[in-house]
Amino acid sequence: MTMDGGTLLHSLNLVYELATLALTTLGLAVVFGLLGVMNMAHGEFVMIGAYSVVAVQQWGLPTIAAFPLAIAVCAALGWVVERWLIRPLYRRPFDTLLATWALAMLMRKVVEAIWGKGFRNVDNALTVAVPIGDTSYPAYRLGLIALAIVLLAALSFWYRRSSAGLRVRAMTGNPILAQALGIDTQRLASRTFVVGVVFAGAAGVMLAPLIRVEPGIGVDYLLDGFFVLVVGGLGTLGGFAGGVGVIGGSQALVSSIAGQTSGYAVVLIISILFLWLKPDGIFSRR
Amino acid sequence: MDRRQFLQSAAAASALGALPPVFAAGAVKVAVMIPQSGPGGLFGPSCKACAELAADTINARGGLLGQKIELLFADAGLAPAEAAQAALKLWKGSGAAAVIGMHDSAVRGALVNLFKGQVPYFYTPVYEGGECAKGTYINGETPQQQLQPVIPWIAAEHKPKKWYMIGNDYIWGRNTNAAAKGYIEKTGAQVVGDEYLPFTVDNFDASLARIRDSGADAVLVSLVGGASVGFNKAFASFGLAEKALRLGTLIEENTLAGIGLANAKNLYSSAGYFANITTPAATAFAGAYAKRFGPQAPALNGLAESTYEGFLMLEAVAKKAGALSVVKMDAACEGAAYSGPRGAVTMKSRHVEQDVYVADVGDKGFRIVKAFSRVSSGQTCQAAA
Repeated sequence: MTMDGGTLLHSLNLVYELATLALTTLGLAVVFGLLGVMNMAHGEFVMIGAYSVVAVQQWGLPTIAAFPLAIAVCAALGWVVERWLIRPLYRRPFDTLLATWALAMLMRKVVEAIWGKGFRNVDNALTVAVPIGDTSYPAYRLGLIALAIVLLAALSFWYRRSSAGLRVRAMTGNPILAQALGIDTQRLASRTFVVGVVFAGAAGVMLAPLIRVEPGIGVDYLLDGFFVLVVGGLGTLGGFAGGVGVIGGSQALVSSIAGQTSGYAVVLIISILFLWLKPDGIFSRR
Repeated sequence: MDRRQFLQSAAAASALGALPPVFAAGAVKVAVMIPQSGPGGLFGPSCKACAELAADTINARGGLLGQKIELLFADAGLAPAEAAQAALKLWKGSGAAAVIGMHDSAVRGALVNLFKGQVPYFYTPVYEGGECAKGTYINGETPQQQLQPVIPWIAAEHKPKKWYMIGNDYIWGRNTNAAAKGYIEKTGAQVVGDEYLPFTVDNFDASLARIRDSGADAVLVSLVGGASVGFNKAFASFGLAEKALRLGTLIEENTLAGIGLANAKNLYSSAGYFANITTPAATAFAGAYAKRFGPQAPALNGLAESTYEGFLMLEAVAKKAGALSVVKMDAACEGAAYSGPRGAVTMKSRHVEQDVYVADVGDKGFRIVKAFSRVSSGQTCQAAA
């Protein structure tokens, strides 16, 4: 039996939603899961990524240059923020929350000061919709899905197999013991934070041609990220995948059947139920 | 320093400090409520510039009823209750004798309740219709105005058979689509879908799949701001722009900048003003704006320009009434007229009869493709009259 065009389209939409959700949430999951830092400015790093595309196109550079720019800006900013804002506040989660919220406001205002509050559009070379089966799908989205899969596979491989991944796991498992074994946890934490926000920035670059671009978009990605973490729990890739699947899947599915309002309501209800009944996430044994 | 001198300098110092500036005798204060924060905040700078240009223009020809206009600004991008507080300060605290408002309908509701017809209030942006409160004068385009001549014109040009209507789930989106339904059916076409999205939605895939399945060859987009940007970008990315034309009544210059010209194929916008209308009056206005605010001026758009129109209507009604009193202005406002950037504007039922322009999108932005003169607002306001 071949899939009819409608089913195929809905399946692709579902995969796309999961891919974008995974891309935008990954950095937040890394930072929250491994460092226990709720980075309220996470969405703003996605926003910086999107504005990197605006910037390179303004300067007449090829769009691909937005990747190195976003990575450089987010890494530098992430390093500074971890060193002088997050590090003094480790183990003070509420203070970290407030501090990163303030950082988010500051980042929005800086972008507003440079580019204004108005909407920006970025040019996209891959605008065609390619025919697949009985339907057609935007080529850029297909590329994005492929990229997301590769990126997630690489990350999970790195985390499980590399010695750096091992050290990160040691640090999160028992920071004091890890330090006693000669692991420089301070440096590792700094790198982990930088990696988390660089992921956010890279996601912003990739999404820029598909989304509205204005200084306030960060909040959208923060909220979705929250829901994924609530469902998925912290610190495991399996939990992260589960969270993305449950949140993205139910939103896409319910939206296409019963409309967007119901889709959003279902996400909220699921999140509330998880907070209430399974506060440590989908794979917790409590 | 003697006592008199001390008192004078103290008074001068306090006037310079906390109090609003002390004006020369014969000045009239006009409160301008525009969004300076929140989602509408991006229109703040252009609205403020248009208000300043309007005050300059009116002052240069002798002022409002012979008095120099002094502007007082407050933020209408706040929650309605807070915006009303800000308006109250300008009205009772600073003595504003008239109010110009370019903000959403929730704030308008709060201001109408606050003013209760005691101060003339000119509401200027595109809105859903139905406001008939005493002392409230509406310059903005209504759904009837933007659609009644435009849908038959689109029908004649493109002969769409199936329309899909999508909007944000609030009064403007719903009223606009409700008005459109009648005009669409009158052209012999059919409405094949009617959908309302909350403001939080930023993924339109489910709606786009429904639009595709419906076989629609025309889509009425009554989404606002960021939602309109996200929807139109995704719409084009699915290759739907070739299959169906789009019509929107709140796609102004900023929204189009977000959508991107490449994503705006077969997209039409209907409004009372576009920054590139080429009538002599509109060109003169744009020229004066550019001269006054320079190359860094916030870009002109229909919402900001409506603020300017509000001042022209205030001047016209005040002149006809001979005083800034609601009783006299309500009695005199019918037929008050002026000629401004939009063309000839005449007040009827405290709404306006005005020209409506249709634009499509070329490689330099909006292109006016059709103009309708003196279109009625479709509002009667008989119950309140």
